[in-house]
Amino acid sequence: MQLRVPLLYILLCLVLAGLIHIAAVLALPGLAPKNGWARLVPLGPTNTMIQMTPLTPGQEVMPMMAADVRYAFCRFDLAQGPVRLKGSVPNDLWMIAFYTPEGDNFYTVPGADMKSAQLDLVIATADQTVAEAGVDAPEEADELFVIKSPVQEGLAVIRAPLSGPSRTARAEAALKATVCSPLKK
Amino acid sequence: MRTLLQLIAVFAVALLLGISSARYMIEHGSPLTTKRVGPWASWVSEGNPNSDPYTKAHLARSGRLPLTSTTARYFTANTDSAGDDLTSACEYLIEGPALNARWWSLAVYDEHGSLIENPSQRFSFNSEEAIRRADGTYRINLASNARPENWLPSGTGPERKLVLMLRIYSPRETDSSGIGQIADDRLPKIERKACN
Repeated sequence: MQLRVPLLYILLCLVLAGLIHIAAVLALPGLAPKNGWARLVPLGPTNTMIQMTPLTPGQEVMPMMAADVRYAFCRFDLAQGPVRLKGSVPNDLWMIAFYTPEGDNFYTVPGADMKSAQLDLVIATADQTVAEAGVDAPEEADELFVIKSPVQEGLAVIRAPLSGPSRTARAEAALKATVCSPLKK
Repeated sequence: MRTLLQLIAVFAVALLLGISSARYMIEHGSPLTTKRVGPWASWVSEGNPNSDPYTKAHLARSGRLPLTSTTARYFTANTDSAGDDLTSACEYLIEGPALNARWWSLAVYDEHGSLIENPSQRFSFNSEEAIRRADGTYRINLASNARPENWLPSGTGPERKLVLMLRIYSPRETDSSGIGQIADDRLPKIERKACN
């Protein structure tokens, strides 16, 4: 009996430690105030393409960003209807990635997979139809590439990896010309 | 009274064990979540909507928005190949073979993930700009002071810890679930040279 009491305590301790471990891991995403989403939200309004300036040491918005990638992002809000991303992709290294506020990258369009150098995507929730959103001709609605978003608010992040200093200006100009706006006029 | 004290002690130890083990598995990773090759570590399902709770917690804490592993792979190193911490007080030779991917880039950061100020505004070398040898291999010199070939500056001033990140966009080899695969022997070796 003298030996069983410490053993009981050890077992109790391990079970408790396990529960605390699980609770801590599950609670952490909600307790991390500075995740990627929280860092990008203050940079500008929703449904607007925001071009991030070339990185300066100590001024980066997120840790471990790439100095040889140019970034632009749109914080989309589908409450008023689908949102359209339009622009040109000068280089098939581009990556257009879609995120939930938790940082889940639920969809990515690699530039290399696009049929043409034109970027034209619509982001919609599962229950929104693009035809109803006011596209004039049904044929046009058929041609639009629609990305179904699991969230009403999220991020579309364009990454333009630089393939050499001479092409930097071109990539920056193309990012600047990219438009993010509600589909409904 | 004695029992109460014992229970409090049990709870305190459990709290310490639970929190520290969670912290370790979120920051450092474990074989469940991370692939380790020499000094390099990569969170296998980072950014994936179906990732496990450890990976989700790691991602939330990191403050990053990585591409999911079916599109890109990220490998970080905070030690050299011998296992010693990377520091700006030492000089390193990073040497690796060609990587089978659309684009890759090797960058250096301080321990907070910030770029390191340097006069040549050089923070990384990517597949398009690194000077390579005829067989496709590259050598990058990570050092405070200018070096020939590919010089990746680790900054001057007070000694700082360094973190290297190798980002590989669109690896050409994938496993059955589409996750980009980088063969172990393709990751560069990090060899410490002189130290101050």
